[in-house]
Amino acid sequence: MRIEELDEMQASALKEIVNIGVGNAVTSLSKMIGKQIRIEVPELKIERIEKVPEIAGGADTVVSGVIMHVDGDINGYIMMLLSQETAEVICCTISGEEHTDIFTEMNQSLIEEVGHILAGSYVSSLSEFLGLNLKISTPMQTYDMLGAIMDHILIEMSRNVESTLLFDTFFTLEGNRMEGILLTLFDPGSMERILNRIAEMV
Amino acid sequence: MIIVGMADSAVAKKPAKITTLGLGSCVGIALYDKRSCVGGMVHVMLPSIENARSRDNIAKFADTGIPDLLKRMLAEGANQSGIKAKIAGGARMFSFSSNAQLNIGERNVAATKEVLRQLRIPVIAEDTGENHGRTIILDTEDGRLTVKSALKGEKIY
Repeated sequence: MRIEELDEMQASALKEIVNIGVGNAVTSLSKMIGKQIRIEVPELKIERIEKVPEIAGGADTVVSGVIMHVDGDINGYIMMLLSQETAEVICCTISGEEHTDIFTEMNQSLIEEVGHILAGSYVSSLSEFLGLNLKISTPMQTYDMLGAIMDHILIEMSRNVESTLLFDTFFTLEGNRMEGILLTLFDPGSMERILNRIAEMV
Repeated sequence: MIIVGMADSAVAKKPAKITTLGLGSCVGIALYDKRSCVGGMVHVMLPSIENARSRDNIAKFADTGIPDLLKRMLAEGANQSGIKAKIAGGARMFSFSSNAQLNIGERNVAATKEVLRQLRIPVIAEDTGENHGRTIILDTEDGRLTVKSALKGEKIY
């Protein structure tokens, strides 16, 4: 399925559902760290799988990334990608330290848990809204080049499909110019399942 | 600088530089012929086109991407007997999982070497495996391959 084949109603329904999910995720992050977070309305794209690293900010951009697999009634991935500064701010805020080293074991698992909580509230709002059964895997967390962090899941997806449904949401922490990306990938089959659910609802 | 994307390839002559960014489980293969100063690079995602459902991009697979790269280098004037390979990537980024699919890095490296062996191209340098990403740059001036990582510095092969 191509994006041109989505009618306007379908495209805006998809966007709205993801917007609600991302909104809930970011609210839970905001509560955790006690800071306002601004998000942009997610953009919906259907892209060739090989193009995903470029869209997410460039394959050699170094980020702190947490990846979770979504399965159940739909198949996809949720990724939280943070710049080093953003990861530091989040760690400092939660631990109450003034400066911190994000590479300590403690901070690495803290970032992992933040990603897990984010994706958890995201997925539970999606599954509630759509009436689908969804679950997320244990998070995979590392600090490395963005392309390297995500290529094994792109490989996994590209075994079966050419393209992916992609939402990228940039978020900014209040008072800082610190950014992160919440990236959602669904395979085309999952998109059809979501659209069918929407069609049943209206 | 010529940038080779994921599942992409390029051929160039001296003095061009060819790079591919952020290799994780994928493998970057740099081929170079010293005499003609023709170089090529391909960024493969999977070992084989066999069993693949979608086959429209041959640069995605080691067993189709590498032979195609060789063919294009020969067309640019490279000498088959002079071509040597340097390979990088094939990492296992996340170690905890028992999922065999996550060992795709190792399988990509093995497939790459097998394809190169069949094409009689010697592998003269290799920076593969481990658990970190790599960006590689091939200098067609002299065939040097620079391998950069996020936290472990830079190596030249």
